[in-house]
Amino acid sequence: MRIYTRVRSVFASLFRKAALDRDLDEELRSYLDMLTDEKVRAGMSPEAARREARLELGGVEQVKERVRERRLGANFDTLVQDVRYAVRTLTKNAGFSVVSVLILAIGIGANTALFSNIQSVLLRGIPFAEPDRLVTGQKTIGGQVTGTVSRIDYFDYREFSGSFEALAALANFTMEFTVTGGGRPELVDAAFVTWNLFPTLGVNPISGRHFSPEEEAENGAPVVLISYGLWQRRFGGSADAIGGTIDIDGSPIMVIGVMPHGFRFLFDADVWALIDRYGPFDGERDSHSHLVVGRLKPGVTIEEAQSEVDAISASLAEQYPATNAGKALLLTDLHRYIVRDVRLILLLLMATTALVLLIACGNVAGLLLARGERRHSEMAMRSALGASTRRLVRQLLTESVILTVVAGFFGVIIAYLFQDVLLRLLSVGELGIGRPAIDARALAFTLLLSVVTGLVVGVIPALRGATTQPARQLGSGARASAGLQSGRLRRGLVVLQVAISVALLVGSGLLIRSFAQLARVDLGFEPEGLLTGRLKIAVADYPTPQERSEFFASLLAEIEAQPGVVSAGLINRLPILSPFQDWGVWPAEAPEPTLQEGFSPMARWVSPDYFRTMGIPLLRGRDITSSDVDGTPYVVVLSESTARTVFGDADPIGRRVHVGWPEREFEVVGIVADARLTTARGAPDAAAYMSAAQLGATRLQIAVRTSMEPTSLAGTIESLVRSKNPNVLFAQAASMDSALTDRLADFRIVIVSIALFAGVALLLTAIGLYGVLAYHVSQRKSEFGVRRAMGASNGSLLGMVLKTGLVLVGVGLLLGLAVAYPGTLLVRQLLYETPPLDPATYVGAIGFLGLVAVLACLLPPWRATRVDVVAVLRME
Amino acid sequence: MTAGKAELLRGTLDMLILKTLSLEPLHGLGVSRRIDQITDGVFQVQPGSLFPALHRLEQEGWINGSWGESENNRRARFYDLTAAGRRRLGEEKRNWTQVVLAITKVMEAT
Repeated sequence: MRIYTRVRSVFASLFRKAALDRDLDEELRSYLDMLTDEKVRAGMSPEAARREARLELGGVEQVKERVRERRLGANFDTLVQDVRYAVRTLTKNAGFSVVSVLILAIGIGANTALFSNIQSVLLRGIPFAEPDRLVTGQKTIGGQVTGTVSRIDYFDYREFSGSFEALAALANFTMEFTVTGGGRPELVDAAFVTWNLFPTLGVNPISGRHFSPEEEAENGAPVVLISYGLWQRRFGGSADAIGGTIDIDGSPIMVIGVMPHGFRFLFDADVWALIDRYGPFDGERDSHSHLVVGRLKPGVTIEEAQSEVDAISASLAEQYPATNAGKALLLTDLHRYIVRDVRLILLLLMATTALVLLIACGNVAGLLLARGERRHSEMAMRSALGASTRRLVRQLLTESVILTVVAGFFGVIIAYLFQDVLLRLLSVGELGIGRPAIDARALAFTLLLSVVTGLVVGVIPALRGATTQPARQLGSGARASAGLQSGRLRRGLVVLQVAISVALLVGSGLLIRSFAQLARVDLGFEPEGLLTGRLKIAVADYPTPQERSEFFASLLAEIEAQPGVVSAGLINRLPILSPFQDWGVWPAEAPEPTLQEGFSPMARWVSPDYFRTMGIPLLRGRDITSSDVDGTPYVVVLSESTARTVFGDADPIGRRVHVGWPEREFEVVGIVADARLTTARGAPDAAAYMSAAQLGATRLQIAVRTSMEPTSLAGTIESLVRSKNPNVLFAQAASMDSALTDRLADFRIVIVSIALFAGVALLLTAIGLYGVLAYHVSQRKSEFGVRRAMGASNGSLLGMVLKTGLVLVGVGLLLGLAVAYPGTLLVRQLLYETPPLDPATYVGAIGFLGLVAVLACLLPPWRATRVDVVAVLRME
Repeated sequence: MTAGKAELLRGTLDMLILKTLSLEPLHGLGVSRRIDQITDGVFQVQPGSLFPALHRLEQEGWINGSWGESENNRRARFYDLTAAGRRRLGEEKRNWTQVVLAITKVMEAT
């Protein structure tokens, strides 16, 4: 049986190797003996015969090696041997191995985690059915995107367009309602949607039904969909909830369904109501507060839908020139719209880590190359001992593959750690995107990449090592005057390493600077030590504006009397936590501006002391005071940019403006600095602050500045409110800091990880450059010995080394800069407020590398100059 | 080694060894000497080629090695042809004849 024989043979060569080798030994010995006998019989002396026989046999070891190589199963056997040998070599050079593994592992890990995230956030999309057919519509005026859409316009688009399977809308804000009945009253946020929003998205209630079109009509039944959380809290998850009622602001409203656990779309909400009935009234074409979401009919492209929508916009503009001239609806892929903020961060991160991986690979390549050079004599020795070229190449390749495989293993661990950090920092959960997991393909890709790196990097020294002439390498002179060729390679290596380092450092430096620019968060107020919460009083308890403002004023006074409280203030919508709500502001003497000319800062109403509590500086005029109450002339404090936009350079104090509607006139009494009200990242918002007492607000948000841990005050305030009036609701107490951290965490941690990356990149570059340079210098150690023996002083030797070293580094730097500039074209799109020729980056990169280069040129020769001349010469 | 000696054609060594062993069992040196003798010294098989070939053939199951006494009372490893080896030799012979015929035709073409 052929197969049987072969299998047995393979097993024999693997497991009975010792016995086989013993047999072979003996066989060769008997061969030698018989050959000697033969020669003795031919008349030679025994000694001569023996020598002659040996010569004829050739190297015993070589013969044995060739027999072993030709054995069946020899491949596997050599692999085991190679691996064992490689592991031994690598552990012997622990420093080199640990550094290489670390470098590669970081590169692999970071890239895997990032690619996984990019995959799920940027490429895979949103958790809705057939997401590529979902689009969002934003209003444009004169071609500029200005955001939300008028409800009336929306209904026209819905009626006249044929490109959409469904066109839905939701209000661009949520409203707060009190849910009563059964347990403690609770404040919930309600979002307002058209009947078809959820069918459009393809999300079904887990219990109950969708809204019906009839319910959207003016006199439809009052019905809501509720969140899973509210269903659990108020109804204990009971099926009876469906068709039952829930008391919202005192009116019983029917619950028709429960949305899935964790469902959110753009806003967190516990209640979804229909736009027509309970939405704030966006009843005019020049009032815009809705987001449009559509599902394209199968086969209709976004461009086709856009041109149809444009036609509708044009006819609306013709019909209603006063409100619709220049207005249009811009369709965007919904997924793209949702990830618009995260996109840039992810792309930046990806580019940066890709660069770091490149640096890592480059450095490991440099280290391996340098090491391969150093192992010339080892290779020569092994080849003299009978190892074939193939064998040597395989050996070196095995080493680099082992390095990368180990690195890959640690890379996976790092990927998981990094993934955790990324998830926390990118807050993709908020986008309604499923938590990304480590993507197997991304992992496979980076592993493959690293193995390929290992092969490429390993093969060069392997080939060079294997093609050496054993005699030359082992010959005595080889070490003293390392061949011309190898010297050229070493110098080339230094130049290349420096050039690559400069180019990569400049690239990642620019990206890191962009991050720093993106992350520079100046809120315009001081979030530390602030407790925030929401307050709501029942109109029935405080029917007149005066009673309401008296209640709030006395509450604030009592809170401020508490130990640890510095000050307290109220506002209708706290910065960042409650964005939106912009109203037009224009000078009282001017006619109401058209939509295109109009200017709409954020409309806010505040209590006295609000600015002081928040730390928003009052620039001119006065604050809202306790005398600005119902019945006194209306006053407003403008933010700096509002004042500048409305009044230009003229002094605004004492001027009169309209805010929101032409009916009311406000006197400008003060100017405060701009602060970020809607997002922590964008530009500061223009705002107009009115007096809460004059407007008679019933629901306000509170900010309390304390000298203690903010949340420790929550209980105190809660009981203060309860003791004043148990019907007053105090809810959602939280520290401003923690609320902001959620929103800024992405940036903070991105910055930390980018700083880490930068550190790693610098470290890698330094190690790599130092390694290659130091190696270059150490190769000339014996030359130094000789020179010193011939009378060269240490100083002159150092000078010589430094000069040649710096010339190499200089050439490398120039080459690197020449590559870096066109290289930045690749990342230019990602740069944020950073010029591609950012001097700080270039100077920093050159300075850093120059310093490393000088150190690398000086330290090894300094050590070399202390070399024992006699020892070196004896080596020769 | 010496000039005038022919290069052994790749792959023919196995065949020569099998053929040699088909006449009588031999040890390594015997195989080498027999080939030398039959070819009038045209082919000299060096140990560096001989032993790898012998061991490979044994692993394939075409020859079988066993320890015995040499003509001079030395312990030596003798190889003899197995049944599989005999079949193999037949195949190699046929192939070889075909190759020789083909090459001869080419060389004698006018």
